[in-house]
Amino acid sequence: MRARFTALAVGMVFGVTLSWTGMTSPNVIRDALLFKSAYLFLFFGSAVATSFVGLRILRARRERAVLVDRPVRWTVERPQRHHIVGSVVFGTGWAIADACPGPIATQLGQGIWWSVFTIAGLVTGIAVYLRGRRQVVPAGERPGAPAEPSAVRG
Amino acid sequence: MAVLHEQLAWYIGGPVLGLCVVAIRALIGERLGITGGYSSFVESVSASRFGIDWRGFLLIGLIVGGAVYALIAGGPDFHGYGWLTTTFTGDSRVLVAPILVVAGVLIGFGAKLAGGCTSGNGLSGTSMGSLASVVATVTFFATAIAVSFLIEAVI
Repeated sequence: MRARFTALAVGMVFGVTLSWTGMTSPNVIRDALLFKSAYLFLFFGSAVATSFVGLRILRARRERAVLVDRPVRWTVERPQRHHIVGSVVFGTGWAIADACPGPIATQLGQGIWWSVFTIAGLVTGIAVYLRGRRQVVPAGERPGAPAEPSAVRG
Repeated sequence: MAVLHEQLAWYIGGPVLGLCVVAIRALIGERLGITGGYSSFVESVSASRFGIDWRGFLLIGLIVGGAVYALIAGGPDFHGYGWLTTTFTGDSRVLVAPILVVAGVLIGFGAKLAGGCTSGNGLSGTSMGSLASVVATVTFFATAIAVSFLIEAVI
């Protein structure tokens, strides 16, 4: 319950930020992808930089998460073919709709009804993927778990 | 409120977004990713027992955040839907909805296959130092830029 409440609160901050920075607008995304505006790249880059530093400070200072009994440290994956193929498919959809999963959700919240169609497609795509995985993954394993963990220490 | 209609400076918005990733890691020890939120709903429906986890609540938070912004700012700043509604006008307007559905399928399937979307791989994964996420992020940015220029050339 703590995890859910925390995620809800952080999600709200995330949603207001995406809205206020204009990420909800397909025009803003398209201008960035056509190199007409540097805003998205500066916004994204500064977010990654902040998180990069913040995560390392966190890992140096804490062993366990604050609200649940989970480790703070993480593992990372080596690049595999599915990362590239999936990202080509994802990037194509992103450029057509000029919205990715976060902004699609904030579009819905803002009452931009076009998002209902994108969301219908999005959940269909996820369901198709999960169904495909369930057929190749032995029974009992959690659907949607990442493919073959080639995890190395991060 | 007029201030909300001005695009928030990137050097404020970016760090706030980055701190969301740090907060999820610090408070509940998880990787922030929005596609997981949709996935949580799909998984709970296909398991026939409704019980979304923290990822689903993160997604609900985003929707609520968008609604809160719209209520305070007084709705979105744009009309129509980008290049789709300016390209497909009149009778061809009916094409916009199916195109968005197809784009959504590509987004959902592609993000799951890649192990994350703009937030899971792009924001969280790269800042975790995951080479897989860096490769994924470079790939989806390059693809999206190429497809955008392709669309621009065709329309």
